[in-house]
Amino acid sequence: MSGAGEPVLELRDLHKSFEETPIIRGVTLVVRRGQRHGLIGPNGAGKSTLFNLISGQFAPTSGDILLNGRSIAGVSPHLINRRGLSRSFQITSLFPRMSVAENLRIAVMGHHGHRFTLFRPVANLRRVSSRVDEHLEKLRLQRRRYDMAGDLAYSEQRALEIGMALATDPEILLLDEPTSGMSRDESAYVVELIREVTERKTLLVVEHDMSVVFDLCDHVSVLVYGEILVSGAPETVRADHRVQEAYLGEEAA
Amino acid sequence: MEFFVISALNGVVHGLLLFMVSAGLTLIFGMMGVLNFAHAWFYMIGAYIGFTCTRTIGFWPGLIAAPIIVGACGVLIERFMLRRVHRFGHAHELLLTFGLAFIIEEVIKLFYGDFPVNYAMPEYMKFAAFTLYEIDYPFYRLFMGGVAIVIFAVLYLLLTRTRVGLIVRAATHRPSMVEALGHNLPVVFMGVFAVGAGLAGLAGAVAGAFFPTGPNMGVDFGTLVFVVVVVGGLGSLEGALLASLLIGLFMSFSVGFNKSLADLLGLVGLGDWAHEVGGLLTLELSTIAASTPFLLMLLVLLFRPAGLLGDRQ
Amino acid sequence: MTIVRALTARQLFLIVLGLAVLSALPLVLSPSLVNAAIKMLIAALFALAFSLAMGQAGMLSFGHSAYYGIGAFAALHLMKAVEGHVLAWPTPLVPLVGATAGLLAGIVFGWFATRRTGVYFAMVTLALAELLFTLAPSWNSVFGGESGISTMRMPSWAFSFGDDTHVYYLTLAWVALSAWCLWAFRGTPMGRLAVAMRENEHRVRFLGFNTHLARTLVFAISAMFTGVAGALLAIANEASNYTIFSTQASANVVLQTFIGGAGTFLGPALGAAVMTFFARVTSDLTRSWLLYQGLIFVLVMLFVPDGFGGLISMHVRRLHGAAIKHLVLPYLLCVAVGLLIIAGVVFMIESAYVLLSDAYVAQRRGAGGAVVPYHLLGWKFDPLSPLTWSLSAVPLFIGGALLPFTKRQTELAWSRALDESEQ
Repeated sequence: MSGAGEPVLELRDLHKSFEETPIIRGVTLVVRRGQRHGLIGPNGAGKSTLFNLISGQFAPTSGDILLNGRSIAGVSPHLINRRGLSRSFQITSLFPRMSVAENLRIAVMGHHGHRFTLFRPVANLRRVSSRVDEHLEKLRLQRRRYDMAGDLAYSEQRALEIGMALATDPEILLLDEPTSGMSRDESAYVVELIREVTERKTLLVVEHDMSVVFDLCDHVSVLVYGEILVSGAPETVRADHRVQEAYLGEEAA
Repeated sequence: MEFFVISALNGVVHGLLLFMVSAGLTLIFGMMGVLNFAHAWFYMIGAYIGFTCTRTIGFWPGLIAAPIIVGACGVLIERFMLRRVHRFGHAHELLLTFGLAFIIEEVIKLFYGDFPVNYAMPEYMKFAAFTLYEIDYPFYRLFMGGVAIVIFAVLYLLLTRTRVGLIVRAATHRPSMVEALGHNLPVVFMGVFAVGAGLAGLAGAVAGAFFPTGPNMGVDFGTLVFVVVVVGGLGSLEGALLASLLIGLFMSFSVGFNKSLADLLGLVGLGDWAHEVGGLLTLELSTIAASTPFLLMLLVLLFRPAGLLGDRQ
Repeated sequence: MTIVRALTARQLFLIVLGLAVLSALPLVLSPSLVNAAIKMLIAALFALAFSLAMGQAGMLSFGHSAYYGIGAFAALHLMKAVEGHVLAWPTPLVPLVGATAGLLAGIVFGWFATRRTGVYFAMVTLALAELLFTLAPSWNSVFGGESGISTMRMPSWAFSFGDDTHVYYLTLAWVALSAWCLWAFRGTPMGRLAVAMRENEHRVRFLGFNTHLARTLVFAISAMFTGVAGALLAIANEASNYTIFSTQASANVVLQTFIGGAGTFLGPALGAAVMTFFARVTSDLTRSWLLYQGLIFVLVMLFVPDGFGGLISMHVRRLHGAAIKHLVLPYLLCVAVGLLIIAGVVFMIESAYVLLSDAYVAQRRGAGGAVVPYHLLGWKFDPLSPLTWSLSAVPLFIGGALLPFTKRQTELAWSRALDESEQ
């Protein structure tokens, strides 16, 4: 295993325009191994676009994205995932009419190479089943394992959302506004969960809730109008007057 | 040279007819998210109405009755059937319209029999518009093209210059916003559906007098319309126009092309071998002219799967 | 629905019982009914294979007749080779070539079609079938041109295959085997993947799956079993021609699957078997069967969205014990009202068919243009007499008038039955 502090994900002068409109205007960013990297910024800054670029939803207009030194710019999402990058979605994206356990099982079995396995019932894949059980326990969802994912409470769904991204055993996990739409208590619960399940993992989190970011992350970057304004330790970023200006009107962290 | 000009003219007219029908389909899909499978069957109903009117009250009343009756059918279908199954999802709506197409075809067979009927334009329209290289070009083809162009002009002006048109265009992009602004969305939907259906009916009444009118019209024209939509992209009027013209031209050029793959291979000296192998290689393009749109579709899927002008989803 | 459980003892018993009954049928049915049963089994397999792509993976295919026909022609060519002593191949194994041909065609066509999703996918499948339909009549060597290909079944393994009984057992064996494979597929990782792609293809891609490849393979498997059905048809009919690629055949399987209910495993098979049966039985009485099938389909889409299989499944799931007794009387009423309405509609449609036919027009011309009585089911009706109209109007009127009452009674009975079930 490579040493801690090495760059896992690198964005080099990334640009993305839609038709005539530039959204990402030259982003350079480094996420190091073991880092819990938070990405904040006002609405419309381009955070979702950045995530979409990194995870392969679309290709950049120019610039490069490197995962463990290899370029993943414009590579299809499924290949990026197999190379060790996994993401969760801001708008919950599950399999609503499958059970919670099944949802996780899809993620796990893919990771274990059972993509087109035809001649064995899925119930017989013991390693897959035990991994699913482990994940269910970590996510505190064992009691709900047979319930339909669509029937879960919102915060449970968000937990499952993160769990599915985790279940592919990624090197780096991208979380897209994991606490969106949650109350204070629910957010605190989810943050605690994230901290537990992502121990020793590299994390890149987009968040809108400042308290979450400064609580969870050890490194913060600020994205404003498609550019990185500042990137550093949370206290440094919080104290930067340009950041405070950009957030004028936002609730003080 | 005459082959080129005649085929081009024919192709453009055919393409315009295709566009008349696919424009309605693409508008309805763009706005309501439902693909009306039965749209080409509206075209067929229009042709049969034209036929019936020509036999009873006259050709021109038929051209007026067809869009009105078919438009009314569209309203009934939208109001009493599509709205009912809206909550079950788009696949369900598609299937419902699929069943309706089926029923329309069977009812027409019930009333008019299994074989094509003799729907023809009035005698005074059967003359040559001009003579090109010793070939008489039928006036009626130009008439069809003319009707299509007039309709587009009217539609274009309606959509871009009137208030109703503005609302319709807005509803294509942001239906819930239009509703929130106080416009009666269900009525807008119903109206667009009716106009789309009426257009298809008119196209049928006009084209049916020239092309064979029979119970297979729905399927034959329908598959063409769907190819237009795959090639041009749903929700894009420009894409539909481009694809319609392309397919119209493709088909009309193929009809006159009495060469096969074997002849093509003959250019590199493999002609004799290819002719001996026979089968698919000696099939002349003119014989399979009806298949050329599908081949075009396969090509597009291969190289530009999102359609020529991309998807507006 | 998507939780895959092993079969219960009761289900296994029912399956064995069902197979036993099916095996005994040739002993009690007339030869023409045995032939009908063969067609029903083939239709059921076609529907099950179609439903794999549709119900499991959410891929609605409007052109499945392509693989049906390809399977049939592959089988016919093999059978011709056997008949001409060019090749030795046991007749009972002929469907294997149908499976192979269907699989290959499914991979090639499926690769193109799955480049798009949703309605685009449906349209591409339709266009591909149409492509075959327009090409086939000109491609004589493969499809036999306009008249098609015909051959003879050769004896194998101590079976002569001379009459339908042997063909029936061969068909039953293959259909049962294929149905078991299709059922087992649902429990495999790929089967679960198919359902996940139906639920949320986008997410599946981000979990490391090449969804284009996956959808192509699932589609190809569906096409494979469809090819088996086509081969069985070729064996039964000993002939086929290009019309097997028509949209009619594609449309039939779609209608039958949804009438039966695409959400359950056996629903499509049920729908296909019953509709095929009615098509056979009414073919002497009326030429409007397809219209009736279409009407049934539209009514099902409007009022019974889960199909009849879904309806039955709902009863099994939600009613426990003797609660069903509450529903007996209201259902009898439903059946009575239904029959009244059906009688009125059928009389109207059949009369319209006769009145519009060339034969009747000729009759009228012979009578100098006067409106003459017409014949239907062996009886004479005067088109202008109120009695004739009332034969259609009266049942419709009574049925229609009773409809709200019937609906109310059924709803009440259901709430009583549900209450009792919950105890």
